[in-house]
Amino acid sequence: MTLALDILLALGLLWLGWQVVSGRALFRSIVMLIVLGLLMAVVWSRLGAPDLALAEAAVGAAVTGAMLLLAYRRIIELRPERAHQSLLRRSRLAAPLALLCGALVMGLGFELLKLSSPADSAGAAALAAMQQSELSNPVTGVLLLFRGYDTLLEMGVLLAAWLGVKMVQPAERQELPVSRTPLPTYLTDALLAVVIPGVVLVAGYLLHAGGSAPGGAFQAGAVLAGAGVLLALTGRLRPTPEPSQLQRIALALGVVTFAAIASVGPLFGKPVMWLPEGWALYVIEGAMTISIALCLLLLFISAGGVQRREP
Amino acid sequence: MSWQDWASGVLLLLGCGFYLAGTLGMLRFPDALSRLHALTKTDNLGLMLVCAALAVRAESLRIATLLGVVWLLGITASTVSAHLIARYARRSKEAEP
Amino acid sequence: MNHSGFVYLAASSALFGMGVYGVLVSAHPLRKLLSLNLLAAAVFLMLISVGRRGADAPDPVPQAMVLTGIVVAVSATGFALSLLLALYRATGGADLDLDEGVVDDS
Repeated sequence: MTLALDILLALGLLWLGWQVVSGRALFRSIVMLIVLGLLMAVVWSRLGAPDLALAEAAVGAAVTGAMLLLAYRRIIELRPERAHQSLLRRSRLAAPLALLCGALVMGLGFELLKLSSPADSAGAAALAAMQQSELSNPVTGVLLLFRGYDTLLEMGVLLAAWLGVKMVQPAERQELPVSRTPLPTYLTDALLAVVIPGVVLVAGYLLHAGGSAPGGAFQAGAVLAGAGVLLALTGRLRPTPEPSQLQRIALALGVVTFAAIASVGPLFGKPVMWLPEGWALYVIEGAMTISIALCLLLLFISAGGVQRREP
Repeated sequence: MSWQDWASGVLLLLGCGFYLAGTLGMLRFPDALSRLHALTKTDNLGLMLVCAALAVRAESLRIATLLGVVWLLGITASTVSAHLIARYARRSKEAEP
Repeated sequence: MNHSGFVYLAASSALFGMGVYGVLVSAHPLRKLLSLNLLAAAVFLMLISVGRRGADAPDPVPQAMVLTGIVVAVSATGFALSLLLALYRATGGADLDLDEGVVDDS
């Protein structure tokens, strides 16, 4: 029964993947990729990874999907006559090469599956060490305590992406196409009034729960960024070329806080990336949440900063 | 099987029927407004029935209430998005008949 | 459990092949980007389904790596989209290889 469900999910993934790469219309491909992201979230929870399911649904499907759709709309506005241009080119090598790559990956994967898993794998060591730690969610624990460099550098990657976006943004900015023709409607006001506080609550919950249950800074940050995306799409926020002082602080907050707390280790005779338990972890996670949310929002509207639109 | 299992099974089947009908309607109906008609009504009912089925089986009252909140959020979002899509469809139809 | 690992591994390799195919045959850079996202999803799926073998509790290390990967993928996508739009604005087209003559810019 469960195997049948797995096979059904896998077939769904394959069908959607094929639709993404083979469809004629770009818009359809984008929608299919979003649906694929949502289905991946289901697959993650099937595979016992609820943290990934949350992150995939919020970041992989929602934020990426919104970015892609907005970029599609901008491209159409810049060159409307290109909207229906042919999307595929003929290539004799593509299919054999793709088959070869797929077969290679499958062969490698099956060899990997055959390997017996060693008793003292990194995951087992992390789970064992987690017994003494306050964090009972192993994924958050691994992200902060055992792979801290990864997490710190990931914040760096987000910042670098924002810097890149800021550098290539247009000199004279057009408004977001969506908000250029704002559609004042009482329903969106009502929706925002309900949803924004709810989203902030959910983000706070995810951040707090991240220590012991699925959740954490990335999921919370992505959910908060979703609220920002909603505000941008309904015309409450508008892009600016430069971030305000507060936004600069918020952007750097994650990296700076993490690096500062991670470098106190030597004072206590510990290694550099050692993190004190307890409140320090929540401070780091909270700072990272703010930075992640703002970075993702700025990546979405592809601007250096953001500003409230005066009504 | 207890009565909870029976009740949740029936509710689940009903909910899946609504989802099936809504999906068929969305795929088969000719224009945006009738598609929305199929989608919103059946989705709301389908989601309600599935949530109710799970709430019947829930271990605690808290989980059952959370499922209710899930349904409320879903219904709010789908109402507003259906409204916006319908408005957009109508305007673009007016712009180029 | 073993069987489902098998199923998802097969699915991830097929998705990988599709992603490679998509990158090769797409004329539109946005489409290439979609295919790259598909490739990323395939790699994540493979990491998790292989990382799950044997152990009773799911291994947290691949999960943490994939979580990092998802965020890196979204930042890369955002930056790539900005670059794509800048290219569009600068040249009016978005073909990386104009000599192919897929779209003649006039």
